[in-house]
Amino acid sequence: MRRSAVSDDRDYDVIVIGAGISGGTIARELSRYTLRTAVLERAWDIPYGASRANSSMIHGGFDDKPGTEKARFCPEGNRMYRTLHEELDFKYRNCGSYVCAIGPEEERHLELLLGYGKANGVSGVEIVSGDRLRSREPNASLEITAALWSPTAAIVNNFEASLAFIDNARANGVDLFMETEVTGLLFSEDGSRMRGVSTKRGDFNGKVVVNAAGVNSDLISRMAGDDSFTILPTKGEYFIFDKSVGHMVDSFFFSCPSEKGKGVTVARTADENLLIGPTSVVQDDRENRNTTQPGLEEVFDGASRLVPNIPRNMAITNFAGVRANSKNGDFHIKALDRPRGFVNVAGIKSPGFTSAPAIAVHVVDMIKESLGDLVKFEPNPKFTPERRHMPRFSELPMEERERLAKTDPRWGQIVCRCESVTEAQVVEAIRRGARTVSGVKLWVRPGTGRCQGGFCAPRVVEILARELGVSPLEITRHGEDSYMLTGETKERERL
Amino acid sequence: MSATRHVDVAIVGAGPAGLAAGVAARQEGARSVVVFERDWEPGGILQQCIHPGFGLHTFGEELTGPEYVHRYVTRAREAGVEFDLNTMVFQLDKPAPKDGDKDDEDENENKVEKNVTFWTMRPERGIERIEAKSLVLAMGCRERPAGALGIAGSRPSGVYTAGTAQRFVNMEGLMPGTKVAIMGTGDIGLIMARRMLLEGADVVGVFEIMPWVSGLRRNIAQCLDDFGIPYYLNHSVRELRGRGRLEGVGVVEVGPDRRPIPGSEQFVACDTLLLAVGLIPENELSRMAGIEIEPLTGGPVVNEFMQTSEACVFAAGNVVVVYDLVDFVSRQGERAGTYAARYALGRLEKTKREFKVVPGNNIRILSPQILTGEDDVTVYLRVGTPVEGKCRLYAEPGLFSQNLRYARPGEMNEIKLSASKLKSLAPDVTSVTIGLEIL
Repeated sequence: MRRSAVSDDRDYDVIVIGAGISGGTIARELSRYTLRTAVLERAWDIPYGASRANSSMIHGGFDDKPGTEKARFCPEGNRMYRTLHEELDFKYRNCGSYVCAIGPEEERHLELLLGYGKANGVSGVEIVSGDRLRSREPNASLEITAALWSPTAAIVNNFEASLAFIDNARANGVDLFMETEVTGLLFSEDGSRMRGVSTKRGDFNGKVVVNAAGVNSDLISRMAGDDSFTILPTKGEYFIFDKSVGHMVDSFFFSCPSEKGKGVTVARTADENLLIGPTSVVQDDRENRNTTQPGLEEVFDGASRLVPNIPRNMAITNFAGVRANSKNGDFHIKALDRPRGFVNVAGIKSPGFTSAPAIAVHVVDMIKESLGDLVKFEPNPKFTPERRHMPRFSELPMEERERLAKTDPRWGQIVCRCESVTEAQVVEAIRRGARTVSGVKLWVRPGTGRCQGGFCAPRVVEILARELGVSPLEITRHGEDSYMLTGETKERERL
Repeated sequence: MSATRHVDVAIVGAGPAGLAAGVAARQEGARSVVVFERDWEPGGILQQCIHPGFGLHTFGEELTGPEYVHRYVTRAREAGVEFDLNTMVFQLDKPAPKDGDKDDEDENENKVEKNVTFWTMRPERGIERIEAKSLVLAMGCRERPAGALGIAGSRPSGVYTAGTAQRFVNMEGLMPGTKVAIMGTGDIGLIMARRMLLEGADVVGVFEIMPWVSGLRRNIAQCLDDFGIPYYLNHSVRELRGRGRLEGVGVVEVGPDRRPIPGSEQFVACDTLLLAVGLIPENELSRMAGIEIEPLTGGPVVNEFMQTSEACVFAAGNVVVVYDLVDFVSRQGERAGTYAARYALGRLEKTKREFKVVPGNNIRILSPQILTGEDDVTVYLRVGTPVEGKCRLYAEPGLFSQNLRYARPGEMNEIKLSASKLKSLAPDVTSVTIGLEIL
């Protein structure tokens, strides 16, 4: 996202650390008020951390033990997404989900989850037989003996959703600072209150600091003197398959959960690809998002237990995410008594993406109630809850394509063949803040298709260079030293 | 929406197959022959193939890619072929019976003529609906990306298909890297090994998972051996390393089962990995139209007229099967253009007999898969495993036999079959088997 102009005035009411789904939803809730809010993001592109690499699932809310924070926020988050996707225009498909049991022991687990679902107020949850499942999902394994059906489960395009919240927050007055990693916290002289944060791009003053730093949130919390929770970085590996095999399933398939997590899932994404994964491996390294050969094998084997015959040669890529699992397994949402003004929104692991909008409402209420003396909440008269994504050319009716192409020839220029992305969409993504090849991909999808950028990468580099007014040699894949090109040919050097 | 535009023979793609089809269709007498091309210039991928080695069969001399294709563009323009450039065909409808014919279902099936309709888009003209009497699919192929190979590790920059790198270097004058490893021995990878080296890059090695090379022997000699670039058979890239830019790749040696040999892992430092691991016919449009695709070739099932499962749709070039030489592509394009024109002019009768061409011993792929015995034909094929010694290529029953000194998967074989021989086969013969036996 484009850096907001850094003014000399860096006085904010609220500073949100992290522009993932947690930071984004909180920023948008805050933008309902006339507060001065800044969001600080260390990465070049949004989403970057766990919000980028996950199952993009909107969970029904039956997984979590009643009484936990997860059980409190997940069903509410699920309800909120039903309208949020229209308000904020991100892709959402109400696909429903099945937790699949193989054998009597796992079937008993379904009973437990059914009980959780009822206690958590999740509507429509029921246990169906394996045959019933297969009558709706013909590719489901014959081994599956029963399944827990949750009709309210859904799947989103998690890139679009993450971007939508922050995009709307910005339109409503929130400032976003990219590549702005927090390096320390600033306190009042007696240490009783927050005064701001220091970053790689200088200091920001703020009376309230919200820690939504994902996998690094415990490190930030320790800077405030609070070591009450620890993040266990948990890697999950995935495969994504060509759209031509997306139809193998309609709904979201879970394995029966074990102590390791929710197990490998199989889903058709909001964009009709087939997604399988994740693994769940705790690691020390917070940055290591490498996939591994054993991990990918585990994913494929796990998925094949639910849906056999997934054609491996139709995989288009693999990826991994690091989830911010807290040691006690639950969300950690708390305002500190000292220093006052510091709020932790941490451990937002699965079902974190689902819960985020509900958590955001809660966090803002909490700030209003317990920190209302520090910052003044007055309704933002200019707040607009709606925003639009740029038109998705590939999904438009012919007449609309025709109309757009007439208004601007760039709507008639296909940049990415696999996903039918036009030059106009790429230019608009850059206008809204994309600065890297990956950034453009997160916004409008060139390079997510079956050729994986073979055709479009040179064109995206060219458009980025032109729109940003830099040499193609300066264009990166995802910031830092991820340069796409290393120099000019001998002939071009001579010219 | 603008009104429908009518053409006799429409061709999708102005690469060598499409150009040859256009020339042939005009020569055969089709009035309006239009080639639809998404690039600004005709020529297809040959525009970026600036190395020599093209046209030995067709022109009897060695040309570069742009020279070869320029000759065909000139021929096409002289023959009156029209070009719609910077025009993307983005939708091909399933051919449906013409209006008015719909009620004639009781009549002879042969008489039901079908329309080909498709949709194009170009910036200055917007969207256009085209109706053609016949269509030639000539979309070529694309490169297999890394995803399907299951390479693990990080996701740094610096991983490109060889063709993407070729475009950067030859078309944009930009270098994709300085220290290059190459995965696979496809021809474009071999060509790019030499090209990158000539541009000052360090080429650390070419890694091939199979025990044999998949490209042409002459490219191994001219692009690797002549420049001292090492290549390693039975080796595969399994892992990428580097957070920002690629820092190196994990390479393993594989056993006869293609699985890694434990303990053979090694780290090869490089900032660029080029992939030359195969080409895939580009058949998204064909699939939209419901045309039958053969899983082994990845292209439409065709007969010797290059006619697909939809009688009004023809196909030629790498969209049908990936050929070694552009000369073969041009030849097949010509054939498709000729018969597409005959079809458009109502001069292609539905044939009486059909022979299925069956791959026999050690034959991996072949095309065309159906023969009618109405024209002499060349069947193109690839063997499954290499035979380095005397062997015999045959077509049974009794159609063809030829002794060879060797047969290699990387070098296509041709079998010429005469129409008269096919026609004289006993009435109960419905298939032709092609095979290779070691002598």
